[in-house]
Amino acid sequence: MLKSILKLCAATLAAILLAAMLLARNINVGVEEMSVHNGDWITTVSAGAADADPLLKTTVAFSALLASTRENSMYYRLAAVDGEPLRLECRYRIEGRDYDANWWSITAYGWDNYLIPNAEKRYSFNNENVIRRGDGSWVITVAAREQPGNWLPVGPSGAPPWRKLGDYDFDLLMRLYTPGDAYLDAPQSAPLPTVTLEACE
Amino acid sequence: MKLLKWLLAILVVAWAGQYLLAMVAPNLIMEGVYFGGAKQGGYNQLVVRPVPDETARSVVRPSPDLLYASCLYNLEDGPIVIEAPIPERYWSMQFYQMNTDNFAGITNQRADSKRVGSVAKVTLISADDDPANYQGEVIQSPTDRGIMLLRASAIGDRTQQQAALDASYCGPQGTPAPAH
Repeated sequence: MLKSILKLCAATLAAILLAAMLLARNINVGVEEMSVHNGDWITTVSAGAADADPLLKTTVAFSALLASTRENSMYYRLAAVDGEPLRLECRYRIEGRDYDANWWSITAYGWDNYLIPNAEKRYSFNNENVIRRGDGSWVITVAAREQPGNWLPVGPSGAPPWRKLGDYDFDLLMRLYTPGDAYLDAPQSAPLPTVTLEACE
Repeated sequence: MKLLKWLLAILVVAWAGQYLLAMVAPNLIMEGVYFGGAKQGGYNQLVVRPVPDETARSVVRPSPDLLYASCLYNLEDGPIVIEAPIPERYWSMQFYQMNTDNFAGITNQRADSKRVGSVAKVTLISADDDPANYQGEVIQSPTDRGIMLLRASAIGDRTQQQAALDASYCGPQGTPAPAH
């Protein structure tokens, strides 16, 4: 009798662990399927919405809790350039102009989904504080070491390394507040900044 | 053969279990945020938060370009009232139920830009309550508990935005709100 109960407990525990692992895997796969790609940028059009799939809701709860609906703000995330995960030892160039939205910002987050500690206390650039060229365009350099111009510093996340699950060191999130129709109707082709890898150490 | 049956049973239960987990996980995470926030600021009152930095841990992916104020509401003892001056630059009032759904919201954008300069006065009632019993702007929450979040642009000169959040109010109906 005791042996059967122990077997059942062990099987239940194994099933729960396996369920959690399957969920973690399916969150990644499912979100990929539900996401819209625009170059290297990815957006999930149902974040925060009541009609969101349970897998998407779980993902949002882990990585974008209390997100707004897309009519209010759209979020484009970039964690890799040309398929290569963003690395702290590399330098990236973000190039853009202004976008059809009330305002926009680009923020760097650690793999732990929080702002990255840095001496500059600079976590983002937005349409008001970015330094522009004469034609209104701008370039932001994302790097761990100081850069001239619009430098968005990155560095190790605040969380302990053993908690890291993804293959990227940090990611970028572009927020477009009150986005225009191009983003609402065709998020896969609406204008966004280009991000390129400049060099790695 | 017996072992194979056990393994098969574990696989089947785990496969179904992942969807059960997916259904409860958002609620569990929201409960964590709700109780964590309640420890700091209590229920049915507005907490204006400093502009997020690397130490901000109340929600994932906080925006350093936004000012936030939140009210963890509990409608078990009756409706609550939210009053918020609507500033000129980007501002929104969003309501989230405990499964993370953003079930209602007000902004000062698009067609609502005419609301700039006014004060949003919202009565938040429970799903069992009848909106016809209340006057003015009434929002019905699908669950008794949830989170109301005020967001205001923090880019450029944030003086007016900060003042708007500082003058906002969230509390039980019948409690006098501050003069705006």
